[in-house]
Amino acid sequence: MTPFLRSMFVVARRDLISIVATPTFLLFLFAPLFMLAVGALGGMGASQLADSARGAGRIVAVIDASDIEAARDADARLRTAFGRPPATLELRVAGPVPADPVAIAREKGSDTYAVLSGPLATPRIVEREPDSSAGRYLALLASEVLRTRTTGAAPPITPRFENLASGGTSIAAQQSMGFAAVFAIFLLTLLLAGQTVGSLAEEKGNKVIEILAAAVPLESVFLGKLLGMLGVAILFIAFWGGVAVAGGFAFATQIDPAAIAAAGAASKPAIALTAAPASGWAFFLGVGFCYFLLAFLLLGAVFLGVGAQAATVREIQMLSLPITIFQVGMFSLSAAAAGAPGSNLARFAQIFPFSSPFAMAARAATDEARAVHLLALGWQAIWVAIVIFLSVRLFRAGVLNSGGGWKFWRRSRAAADGEASLSQRH
Amino acid sequence: MIGDRGLSDYSVEATGLTKYFGAFKAVDNVSLEVPTGSIYGVLGPNGAGKTTTLRMMLGIIDPDAGSSRLFGDQRPQAVRHRIGYLPEERGLYPGMKAREAIAFMGALRGLDWREGRRRAATFMTELGLERVIDEKIRKMSKGMAQMVQLIGSIVHAPDLIVLDEPFSGLDPVNQERLELLVKRERDRGATILFSTHVMAHAERLCDRIAIIARSQRRFEGTVDEARALLPMQVRYTPRDSRDAAGIAAILPATAERHGDAWHFAIEDADVEPLLSRITASGHGVTGLSITRPALHDAFVHIVRQVDAGFAADATCDAVQEALA
Repeated sequence: MTPFLRSMFVVARRDLISIVATPTFLLFLFAPLFMLAVGALGGMGASQLADSARGAGRIVAVIDASDIEAARDADARLRTAFGRPPATLELRVAGPVPADPVAIAREKGSDTYAVLSGPLATPRIVEREPDSSAGRYLALLASEVLRTRTTGAAPPITPRFENLASGGTSIAAQQSMGFAAVFAIFLLTLLLAGQTVGSLAEEKGNKVIEILAAAVPLESVFLGKLLGMLGVAILFIAFWGGVAVAGGFAFATQIDPAAIAAAGAASKPAIALTAAPASGWAFFLGVGFCYFLLAFLLLGAVFLGVGAQAATVREIQMLSLPITIFQVGMFSLSAAAAGAPGSNLARFAQIFPFSSPFAMAARAATDEARAVHLLALGWQAIWVAIVIFLSVRLFRAGVLNSGGGWKFWRRSRAAADGEASLSQRH
Repeated sequence: MIGDRGLSDYSVEATGLTKYFGAFKAVDNVSLEVPTGSIYGVLGPNGAGKTTTLRMMLGIIDPDAGSSRLFGDQRPQAVRHRIGYLPEERGLYPGMKAREAIAFMGALRGLDWREGRRRAATFMTELGLERVIDEKIRKMSKGMAQMVQLIGSIVHAPDLIVLDEPFSGLDPVNQERLELLVKRERDRGATILFSTHVMAHAERLCDRIAIIARSQRRFEGTVDEARALLPMQVRYTPRDSRDAAGIAAILPATAERHGDAWHFAIEDADVEPLLSRITASGHGVTGLSITRPALHDAFVHIVRQVDAGFAADATCDAVQEALA
């Protein structure tokens, strides 16, 4: 191992241990639990609200007593055919006095979306919103009842459903996978890479930076700190990935396999699993992880370099907003690129170094070409090196007062000589 | 790991080092040569440019002009593992244990972690710090933490040890321990380069010194050579002081009388003629001391001369400006 790599790993090891071996790390590790708990609480509240709202809604049909049974049967048949059936149907028997649908629609206690009254051939439908699905549903219901009345009940049919197994994954599904990859990498880097911004503050505060600067190349310090933080991020991902896999296994063992086979055969998750990214699942997941690493290193290097210039904790805190905006900007660019594969925007996002990991991960979902990813990973790695190089030069010039490497913008010494002697005399 | 890897007789060769901070010239054309295996002191008042000079030598900051070679190599980075450095601003990770902190500093210079931990325990025990080997730095006193950092800078047995103001902040007991440690490292074969503005340490330890004042090197040589810059101080008490005029006649014109005693300075060459005159005069001798000035006196003399030169320059400039 070269001295550069060795010193880099020494710094990375110290950083990793100093972060992991503290109680604060547990708080960091379990932070998603708090997020999930808050999300679950919010979700429960929203679900209850939706349930109560759903229970309170209705559509009403005021029809002859002889048609009630036919209407109930027709409603049952129609509901199975609708992906999203309308609110509960309330059937009322029409009396000798014509019903007032407007009055029914305004009855207290529930939201009434539509009311049907009058003869079934020429029903009057009062609806809350014009041309609503509830109104059209009631019209269809009247038509069905009328047909039953005239021709009698039709015998039940026994359809045979067949799955189109060889149709391949749809483009839309692959684009969705691409977007999911962009979002997952963005979320992880948002949570984890942003922390690098303050990672040199400790060394500056403790004056350890001079020991490091004297002992090892600053490039290895920067890279070591980045690797240390990456180690923390991978620990975080490994922990929650492990929890998810273990949870999945535990869940699977609690369910009867026959029930899984029966229920899962036509379920949406099962269908989603049969879809595959263009480059194949194994490659997609593998290269996706590599792009996460590069995204972390690239954005982390930028944040580390910017944060290293900050003189105080307050300055570091102030930097968090532009950093978040920068990350969201890269996400937006890549998300737009994921929605338009092959476009100029997508090509730009794939080449622009700071959006490249996101956009290329999305490309792996829609394009089967694999070699291009090696090229992209190399391109991004070069940019990690460039950002580290520039960050170190700025750090030496600005923080260590060295000025080395920026000689091209220094003033002439003769001019400075004159000023120096003047300042000493005054 | 000492010495034979460098081709030069000097562990450090700095030539014309110059550094500006903005318009201020912090170091002006400073050259130093530190012989291998010696203890070398860089002395100077506060703000003279000692720390900046050391930082440039070690490659922590780049000089605006001049160059330095460590073990004959112009790239300090290439010989980092052979150097130990204690910066002026002490720095340790407060959350680390002493043993780990020392091992970490050794690992930065290429020492195996496990070996670093072992040596850390040995050094700390030798320096009477065995009680705090596994104590976190934040729980230690400032002096203890400083000793830990010092051990960290020498744990990898470097060939060149650079210590910036190593004695500041230490109590007298630890100062003595540090002096012993410095001598022991020199005996091991290491070259020691340290900066200080406390002359007593330099006088006891250094083979050679450089005095920096107002950003420039004002003296370079041995401690004795520095002390020889000033004449020897004589205190003479005659047996009979009543003939003051007769006594004054055999002494230099600058002699001053304080009670029965006469004080004056003389050059080395004038000592024997003086003794002859005193013996021949018959005034007798109750007390006679001839002492070489301390390094402290030489240092103050040099620094004052420099300050006086600056004050004179400033006055000249002011007069010229007024005349103009």
